[in-house]
Amino acid sequence: MIEIKHVGFTYANSDSGTLTDISLEIKKGECVLLCGRSGCGKTTVTRLLNGLIPHYYEGTVSGSVAIDKLEVTKAELYETSKIVGSVFQNPRSQFFCVDTTSEIAFGCENMGLPVNTVRERIAQAAQELNVTKLLGRNIFHLSGGEKQKIACASISAMQPEIFVLDEPTSNLDVNAIEDLRNTLLSWKAAGKTIVIAEHRLYWLKDICDRVVYIQDGSIAFDIPMKAFLEFSTEHLAKLGLRSLSMEAFHVEPMEAKGGAELILKDYCFSFDGLQALNIPQLSVPIGGMIAVIGLNGAGKSTFSKCFCGLERKFKGKAVFDGTAYGRREMLKKSYLVMQDVNHQLFCESVMDEIQLGMDEENMNDVDTILKELGLADLSQRHPMSLSGGQKQRVAIASAILANKEFLIFDEPTSGLDFQHMEQTAGLLRSLWGRKTAFIITHDPELIVRCCTHVLKLEQGCVADFYPLFNETKNRFADFFYKNNN
Amino acid sequence: MKKEKLNGKDLMNVGIYSAIYFVIVFVIAMLGYIPIFMPLICVIAPIICGIPFMLFLTKVKKFGMILIMSLIMGLMMLLTGMGYYSIIVGAISGLAAEAVYKSGGYKSVVKAVLTSGVFSIWMWGNFIPLFTNIDQYFSTRQDYGQEYIDTLTSIMPLWMCPVLFIAAIVCGIIGGLIGKNLMKKHFVKAGIV
Amino acid sequence: MECSILQTNIEKRGLVFDPRTKLLLLLTMATFVLGGAGQKIGLGRLVFSSISSCLCVLPFVLLLASKKKKVAFTYAVLYLVMLCVFIFVTPITKGLLNFLILGTAGIITRFLPSIVLGAYVVSSTTVSEFTAAMLRMHVSEKLIIPLSVMFRFFPTVGDEFQSINLAMRMRGIGFGGKNVGKMLEYRLIPLLSCSVKIGEELSAAALTRGLGGNVKRTNVCEIGFQIQDILLILLCGAAFFLLILSTFGML
Repeated sequence: MIEIKHVGFTYANSDSGTLTDISLEIKKGECVLLCGRSGCGKTTVTRLLNGLIPHYYEGTVSGSVAIDKLEVTKAELYETSKIVGSVFQNPRSQFFCVDTTSEIAFGCENMGLPVNTVRERIAQAAQELNVTKLLGRNIFHLSGGEKQKIACASISAMQPEIFVLDEPTSNLDVNAIEDLRNTLLSWKAAGKTIVIAEHRLYWLKDICDRVVYIQDGSIAFDIPMKAFLEFSTEHLAKLGLRSLSMEAFHVEPMEAKGGAELILKDYCFSFDGLQALNIPQLSVPIGGMIAVIGLNGAGKSTFSKCFCGLERKFKGKAVFDGTAYGRREMLKKSYLVMQDVNHQLFCESVMDEIQLGMDEENMNDVDTILKELGLADLSQRHPMSLSGGQKQRVAIASAILANKEFLIFDEPTSGLDFQHMEQTAGLLRSLWGRKTAFIITHDPELIVRCCTHVLKLEQGCVADFYPLFNETKNRFADFFYKNNN
Repeated sequence: MKKEKLNGKDLMNVGIYSAIYFVIVFVIAMLGYIPIFMPLICVIAPIICGIPFMLFLTKVKKFGMILIMSLIMGLMMLLTGMGYYSIIVGAISGLAAEAVYKSGGYKSVVKAVLTSGVFSIWMWGNFIPLFTNIDQYFSTRQDYGQEYIDTLTSIMPLWMCPVLFIAAIVCGIIGGLIGKNLMKKHFVKAGIV
Repeated sequence: MECSILQTNIEKRGLVFDPRTKLLLLLTMATFVLGGAGQKIGLGRLVFSSISSCLCVLPFVLLLASKKKKVAFTYAVLYLVMLCVFIFVTPITKGLLNFLILGTAGIITRFLPSIVLGAYVVSSTTVSEFTAAMLRMHVSEKLIIPLSVMFRFFPTVGDEFQSINLAMRMRGIGFGGKNVGKMLEYRLIPLLSCSVKIGEELSAAALTRGLGGNVKRTNVCEIGFQIQDILLILLCGAAFFLLILSTFGML
């Protein structure tokens, strides 16, 4: 059904994701996993299939991509769109309409289908994907997982033969991943062809039949899933891949240094009459690296905003060194590294960036910090031109130089491959003992590598709080993998 | 330049930049709620909007995109209750801006800055109701005496009309220049352009 | 942040009008209240000032009908206060004060009804209704597509702006800084680069679902004229009819 023959591709304005020579044949009804390190070209392959290359992303292309009789590289995008449906990484940026019903209708409307047919298809797709309850809602008010479901339903309504997914779980929590898994299973059962590029592998064990590993723009191996499951975690790590199961996780015990305590008092906050956060009192060790876990909507981001003093109406206090600090003081003492670091880079060079808002007395430390974080050679670069990991480090450097004592990281490893995840973990570990950090994450592999404690939130309350050792790892493993073993 | 049709990608770009542009206009227009500041909108808005507009121009390679954006601004003014004047003005000034940018082969930087000036004329359209019927409007209230009408018409005396027109163009050009410099400083280095 | 330009709570709305009716209303408002059209002497004056008065009351009624009481009453109070100022205070003041009061009251009484009607229109129409209406009016897709993208994109720009503001507060950079240019630059540059990035993803997703094809798009959104629409259309029609009559000197 799909035939990719000797395709090479170079983006017009980037070296990453280049393909040198890819040949791949996919039969109807097959379900193929594309994996590899970041920048290996797996996303590029998905873009070849849906025609975004060369029609949207410009560059030089050679070879041919054919789906049945359609030459994707030559056909117009709207022709390809009738047989290939695509789901993307970021649920926030892939919907076109403002309400859910129009969104599901969108693809069908573009095909010019009669209104009655479109209505039938909306109802059908909504039922299949279990989103009937979400119809007629404002998409901006949905959670990430719900948005992703609507995206799938919208594609489903177009009834394409091939589904192409590009890292669809990067921004999802465990429940949403489970939903997506069910969606994929239903497509598979309907005999559709599925191609999925992904970092997280564990949820695809029983969906994909074939695993294609891409390295430096060409296919390194193409094996059945069964053979792939035999790979050891070490082997996967060497390939730069995330692990397939939880058993192999090993916690490197880290203890909070010092023994002083930070007490959070009256951490309660509500908006629109809904209690978003309700923690009367919680003490955490100063110098600890605390993983904050929980489903979407459990209050994790409200917690981080309140902690950093960003919620103007928040009344809670943080007590340490015998003093109670309110919102304004906490704003000076803490720093939130956002999920999209681009929001917090303002200047035209890394050097200016880290000195902006810096404490004057730290002037002498600038070079040391730069060196320590591996930014010394980049100090004159424009922050926006750096890679994601480098941007993260710039943000951390500016926080350290501004004498921030508490750092909060909002999903620092979403969408990262094994190697980059380990790098981030290493970076976080280097803060251990010097700063107190809260790490909001959906990534168990990150937690075992750099956290001392786990704080689990549920509906705004503390559901569990414990130090992390090998003996306690199952407590949070249950949370992440309950549905998958 | 070949005559190429606008495709989906171009139309999406127009929409995205229109959104950014309009949000900025909207925020600045809040200043206009203090009525005395109203004429200042014609000065501030083109300067600040010049920045996203210059970025938008880097995506413009075909005829029509600037005109569509101009019409959209006019339509938004109608929707937000500022009357239909900006649609008419915007249609003409948008076409003119299009012509200016086209004469530079859709890549000349100097022409881009000029385009930013010409494009900004649509904002002037919002002020037309302050001039056109001002005498008529207050003639309905002639019982309040000639003195008041004189005072009021002098707030927006007729000579303000061309002044605002020129102000919009000049400030649009200034905005374009600032935008050009910021682009060189940030976006080129960051690899967005 | 609710950046509410054509973003409606689809769940709770009162009386619904067709978007085309609303557009006609806006045009009527722009002609008679904002533009002050009509004859200003004799019988015509009476007719047209009652038309404008009618139109000025309309936003209040419509807001009430769509269950936006707070906005409706704020509008009514503000408008009446300004009108009273215009009528009673301006004759007894002199000089600069008179100039300021007259200017403020004059501009507000003139622009407010239209702006409030605009606020009503954008808050009571959904994007899909609006595009459906445009489609029915045979507006070119070259205008409809960018428009719908724009409406979709407003909340995103708002969100981005808010995130950037939070980030600035954590760095201790406020709006009150010494250098206005720098403050603006720090906000605008990340805003632009983030929005552009999201915009690219949005375009890609829309194009893979066949946007910009060679067939005419359909639209599932149901719109149509109801009794309430016809009433308003008649009202607007009458106003324009009188205007035509008066232009030809028949009134």
